[in-house]
Amino acid sequence: MNFDPQPIDIAESLKNWGIIFGVLLTLGLSIGFLLSAILNTKDGISRYFVGLGEGMQDTFGMSCRRIGAIVRLTVKESVRRKALLVFVVFAILFMFGGWFLSNVNERDELQLGVYVSFVLKAISWLVLPVALLLSCWSIPEDIRLRSLHTVVTKPVRRSEIVVGRVLGFSVIGSLIVGIMSGLGYIWILRQVPPTVGDKLIARVPVYGKLSFLDRQGLDAKSGVNTGDINEFRSYIEGASKARAIWRFEGLSDDALRTNPENQQPELLIENNFQAFRTHKGEINQVLNYQLTLVNDAKKLRVALPSFPVQEFGENLRWIPRELSYYDEEAQASKQVDLFDLVDEDGKLTMEIACVDAGQFLGMAQPDMFVRLPDRSFASTFFKSALGIWMMMALIIVLGVTASTFVKGPVATLLTFTLVLFGAPAHGFLNDLVSGKVKRGGLIESGIGILTHANPNVDSQAGGTGITKGVDRAMSGFVWGVSHLVPDFSQFRYTEYSARGFDVPMKSAILPGVFLLLGFLLPCFLLAYFSLKLRELEAK
Amino acid sequence: MNNLSSKQRKLLYFVVIVVLTAPIIYLGAPSAGEGRSTGGKLAQIRIQEELGESTLGQVDPASSTMNLVLLGMRGIASSMLWSQAQTQQENKDWAGLRATTESIIMLQPHFLAVWEYQGWNLAYNVSAEWDDVRDRYYWVKEGLKFFMRGTERNRKYPELVWRVGNVSGAKVGRSDEWRYFRQYFRKDPDAARYNDGPDPAINPNNLDNYLVSKEWFQRANDLEEQPGIEQHLMQKMLFRTYPSRAQFDYADVLHRENRITEESRIAWDEAYEMWTTKFGREIFDSPGGQIILEFTEEDLKMLMERENNKFPLDVKRKWTSSYQDRCQYRYWRTLAAAESLEITRDAHRRINDGKELFWESRYVQSEKDRADGKGPETWGALEHLEDGMRKFEQVLNDFPTLASEDDAIEESLMALVYWREIFKLRKQPIPDDYPLRSMWEKHQDRVPEMELNFRRDIPISNRD
Repeated sequence: MNFDPQPIDIAESLKNWGIIFGVLLTLGLSIGFLLSAILNTKDGISRYFVGLGEGMQDTFGMSCRRIGAIVRLTVKESVRRKALLVFVVFAILFMFGGWFLSNVNERDELQLGVYVSFVLKAISWLVLPVALLLSCWSIPEDIRLRSLHTVVTKPVRRSEIVVGRVLGFSVIGSLIVGIMSGLGYIWILRQVPPTVGDKLIARVPVYGKLSFLDRQGLDAKSGVNTGDINEFRSYIEGASKARAIWRFEGLSDDALRTNPENQQPELLIENNFQAFRTHKGEINQVLNYQLTLVNDAKKLRVALPSFPVQEFGENLRWIPRELSYYDEEAQASKQVDLFDLVDEDGKLTMEIACVDAGQFLGMAQPDMFVRLPDRSFASTFFKSALGIWMMMALIIVLGVTASTFVKGPVATLLTFTLVLFGAPAHGFLNDLVSGKVKRGGLIESGIGILTHANPNVDSQAGGTGITKGVDRAMSGFVWGVSHLVPDFSQFRYTEYSARGFDVPMKSAILPGVFLLLGFLLPCFLLAYFSLKLRELEAK
Repeated sequence: MNNLSSKQRKLLYFVVIVVLTAPIIYLGAPSAGEGRSTGGKLAQIRIQEELGESTLGQVDPASSTMNLVLLGMRGIASSMLWSQAQTQQENKDWAGLRATTESIIMLQPHFLAVWEYQGWNLAYNVSAEWDDVRDRYYWVKEGLKFFMRGTERNRKYPELVWRVGNVSGAKVGRSDEWRYFRQYFRKDPDAARYNDGPDPAINPNNLDNYLVSKEWFQRANDLEEQPGIEQHLMQKMLFRTYPSRAQFDYADVLHRENRITEESRIAWDEAYEMWTTKFGREIFDSPGGQIILEFTEEDLKMLMERENNKFPLDVKRKWTSSYQDRCQYRYWRTLAAAESLEITRDAHRRINDGKELFWESRYVQSEKDRADGKGPETWGALEHLEDGMRKFEQVLNDFPTLASEDDAIEESLMALVYWREIFKLRKQPIPDDYPLRSMWEKHQDRVPEMELNFRRDIPISNRD
């Protein structure tokens, strides 16, 4: 993995959501109150509270039957608008995709990822534009053709129209995603070369916390940078005291899996280290690493035999229950049970050393993990499809919401912009707020530009305490905005499936689910009140 | 709006359509095929100026479609892909890099720099990132295949053909890993896939890498000879040395690998023939008019007559000599002549055998010798080296130009370093008189470097 999956902090997320939702709700209610009081001089205040009351009634008094009717209507309408023609494009893509994707010179295992990425990307590129266009154009079209006028005069609440539309499009979208995923899955199974068929799996990793010791054996923030621009991995020096130390938690008997060679339950470790040579050494031999299992409390150090590093490939290491090792203090060979090295609360420490003098081994936190029993490829593939579905659902929510207060083309443009720039903008705004961007404050950077100050050198040249204080206040606003722009990258699970990993619940699926749910209520309220206040007969 | 009826308007539209169609047909009618002058004006100009896709090389329908679909956005799309490829390389996402490279060539199939840059990138930069020598070889092959595809898609770039020759020659045969790469070239490490043979995509006839390289260089030369085609890598004369140079490399590597047999003699003979009768007899343009590197007095007269005596004889001689210097013509000719002789080959053989015996006696057989009370001298290393050195000295006396060349100096000094090491092991003084003594004394400044090379020759498992 070239990225480090971070588990979601549910309490923190809920707190952030509460703050932003609370502020927006208060702002919305206050502005509504003021406008109502100013525009309707006589009974403005009472009409405001009546409106709020109706809103509550419309929200809590929704009828499933009426919503169901609108859902049916929406589905029929979508079919009539030829939304299902997307299957024709899908069929063409998949009939001929294999011609362009299969490369006889490519290593089979490298091709796996290409096939999986192709299928998932094709599904999202076909489904998302359809969802976007359907959701953005339906209500404005209803208003233009005055069919909505006919609906609202019936005993149908406007909240039901919003919910019905969202659910209706979600149904048609789910149908498309479901069928495409199923066909895509079968297509992958048929396309993948039989030699690597067994590599179509979902690995379930347990990641540990990584720390480093430098060449003197002292704690270090990271290893050595050997000149890579990408600092994701850092390196430890061979035949020195430099170590990479992983601390795993929550390990128990369940982590053991059957070693196919001896049919014994063993612990499977997978790693993917990178080699860096400062001298040629033995050209035809790869570098080696040594793994030592450590239990400081019991003063146990079990060094396992050294192991060759196969770069950019699958390095599997089976650790048996019964370990024999050489006790240097007692100067004798001993036996120890693997779980004697594991703490009571399931903690296990593993130290990695580079064996070859003058050479370096590079690693990052996700480069070594305990591999639990694999899951089927279907599980990771359909979880990725779930990610596409959630992305589609959020686009529908945003599209329907936008279409309640602007016309179709504008709503399309608005939603499209959010989708296209959501993820990069979110990343940039987050970097601004978290201080990753040096001198990120507006005034501070402005002063820096005018005075030609170098942000890496002149740390004090960016302004005084007052300007920094103003910048801090502004960054609070940026923080709020950054949370208003949905981060669509949260739904992208393709990388996991393409690399043969299971899509993790805590660091991938839950953040996606929370993101979707987080936008549901605010969007519903916005859409409902927009539709309620909108002049429906206007063209 | 106007007084025309609907029917009249339709008729008018039809007439306008017909009128407008005529110039379109005149200009844009498609050609009946390459080489024919039929078709519209544009098609004819395209054929005349050789601007059509098919005249440049193989047409890839996917690539053409992609360019059409992108309308004018091709530049932006390819710039984004280049940037993406760069990021993928920094992140060591090799599969991604490969896929992005494919997309780039789809967009820019006839842009020479794309092929040259990415082919080199795969064969040299990406391959160097891998630790396992087999993986490195895989990426060298990827680079080679990339260049080969470039030659298929672009029939008018001798540069790309030359690159294939250069990678299969220099990268496979001269890099640090050359011993392994050369073996893999004949027997791919992916034995299961290639049935213990070579990868047919790069070596279909299971030849030595330098011979494959020679074929590609020859193809580059043949292409470069065609009218209207130029290469922009180097001076034309130097470009045309490469097939012969590949033959020299082939002959030389047989010596490096101590395969000094009849095969190596034939290789040197062929190198001599190619150098003197093929490359040496080509006519090149110089500021002193046309010249021939392997010339006779008759040749000079013939060339002067051709040019109506525009350039005097001494000018022509001067430029011929200058061009000979540029490609070290005389050195290669002498080398080939010398290396074809039995005495030279014997000298190399004896020196190489002496070195091998030295290590065997020092490390492999030494325990047995010690048990028998014998030392390294028993294995004949000294005799082999001395005999080789004596013969090599004779060759250098016969061909004095070689004595100032690096290869000869290195070979002499290395043989002497080994030879002196035996005396050290025996704890005997170095004799006053010995073969190649003049080389040793003349090139004392290079001795430390040779001693370092000697230590590098020590098998790692036996280093003290």
